[in-house]
Amino acid sequence: MISVGTTAADVRAFHEDVIAECENGIPAGAYADANFAHYLFLSAGGASTLSRALHGERRLHAVSGLVPLFSWDEREMAQEWDVRFDALPDDRPLYAHDGAMSAARIVHGEGIMQFVVGPVHAGIIEGGRFTFSSGGETIVHLDAQLGYAHRGVERALQGALPSQAAAKVARICGGCSASRSYAFALAIEALAHVEPEPEIELVRLIVAELERVYNHLADLAASASGAGYAVGFARGMALKERAMRLCHAACGHRLLFDAIAPGGLGRPVLEDRVPFGAELAELERDVHLYLTALFGTASMMSRWERAGIVPYETAKAFGAVGPAYRASGGSTDIRTFIPYGAYRWLPPSVACGASADARARCEVKRDETVESFALIRRALHELSDASLPPQRPVEPRPGRALGVVEGPRGTELVAVHVDERGRIERIHFISASYRNWPIVARAMENNIVPDFPLVNKSFNLCYACADR
Amino acid sequence: MTMFRRSIGIRHLVCGSCNGCEHEMNALNNAFYDITQNGWDLVASPRHADVVTVTGPMTEAMRTAARATLEAVPRPKVVVAIGDCATGDGPWTGAPAGAGAGVELAADVMVRGCPPTPDDIRAGLARAAELLDS
Repeated sequence: MISVGTTAADVRAFHEDVIAECENGIPAGAYADANFAHYLFLSAGGASTLSRALHGERRLHAVSGLVPLFSWDEREMAQEWDVRFDALPDDRPLYAHDGAMSAARIVHGEGIMQFVVGPVHAGIIEGGRFTFSSGGETIVHLDAQLGYAHRGVERALQGALPSQAAAKVARICGGCSASRSYAFALAIEALAHVEPEPEIELVRLIVAELERVYNHLADLAASASGAGYAVGFARGMALKERAMRLCHAACGHRLLFDAIAPGGLGRPVLEDRVPFGAELAELERDVHLYLTALFGTASMMSRWERAGIVPYETAKAFGAVGPAYRASGGSTDIRTFIPYGAYRWLPPSVACGASADARARCEVKRDETVESFALIRRALHELSDASLPPQRPVEPRPGRALGVVEGPRGTELVAVHVDERGRIERIHFISASYRNWPIVARAMENNIVPDFPLVNKSFNLCYACADR
Repeated sequence: MTMFRRSIGIRHLVCGSCNGCEHEMNALNNAFYDITQNGWDLVASPRHADVVTVTGPMTEAMRTAARATLEAVPRPKVVVAIGDCATGDGPWTGAPAGAGAGVELAADVMVRGCPPTPDDIRAGLARAAELLDS
């Protein structure tokens, strides 16, 4: 739906339309282009957009005052696309401006102190600045400021042919590369009216699930490390290494870069399926042993329990997605909510938790890891020794399309506008990490400072795809 | 001091990387690569470092913090650029991102790859250890 009126009443009416839509569907985020602001919503079976012409004044009434999950989106629209919001609750720029990050939000009061971590962290971790306000050990407020990896990828991709853009899209974020490539491929294929063959879809499912496996193993290992459990960390990271080697065996790249591309696959994948299947079975067996041992370690489980609780209402209001949402009582998984590719006939059983703490998030990831192996086995069986058709040429027609997939951390969304020349006019990425970072900040409230590593790692979000 | 030869403390500095290089840097600590057997350690503070590994094209927001981190490393120090973004050959090189963290910070060793494998990174670190000894 497109709204065009110019009066203050029209601006207000659009604001009310967005609020109404939030009641019906799941708000997914918002972005602007040269002429419009677009608010995106997901519902069973599809995505919808409310768009409003910005005209000369580029004025809008902010939605984030009532629907806080739009906060980062509206701050980004204001900073990057010059949208002038009325009633924007947090009107600080989202990214650094002239090399400087805006002041952190801190809590003042008797006995409240502040301390800052980042942007350079002690481990091998991406950069972000975390400003804690705490009363003794208890965290009262956390302001997570990101943007240190803001490379301006969306502007850099403007004007590119989708076929040229694919390799760059795969390199926005290393940890969810395959999911982003998948979402990008879905959007471009929709505009080109190309539907890949079932064999290609089966291979894409295997690639996407391999990505989930190596990420979840790394997350569980890091969560064990956050709780001080060295054995759980060491074994988990060794299994992650084996998963990355399995990725390499599947497609010649340890992080699956370029495996999925518009029109099919971007590199040879699963040409030698027999040794892959054998390695997969061995890894699956050892992962089961690891998971049983890890979740059977009572002292560590007690550290995960009641740490970083995110009540369902908070998760929903601030827009949690993926395992973070499902651990807090949500049930949305894009693979079954808006099925795509081979998930249309190989639906996963969706893992959910209820205790809403670090333990629940880890349990969801455990169950998803087990399910991923099962999905890969089913897809391999169905694929058998079928030969794979070559990558199809894709020539997108002018227009706008969304691609949405379930990545390891949740909903990965790509919005693409293609112009008359078949080139990218505007592209916007809403990553699961972008949605979930504000949840991490809320999860830390009323937790103790030393629990930050374990609560943070129970999410284990990326910075690169949040910053872009 | 020969007993400390080629034993290095490594501080990692992320300058707008996609995190792919960090996945491979982290692999250096797993049971398969275990660089502690080389006498190498990934250290938490630049004050403890002999070698700084840098990744990413360099972003506007990181530039000041990156220079401050390098300043905090005692001499002699060696800077190793890890990955195509840092060496100036990556997908985001140039405006609005920077020219490459390794280019901007005058890296002594360049390790190409997107991302480089843990073995490639280990070879680059061995080169850095040699430079410190020479």
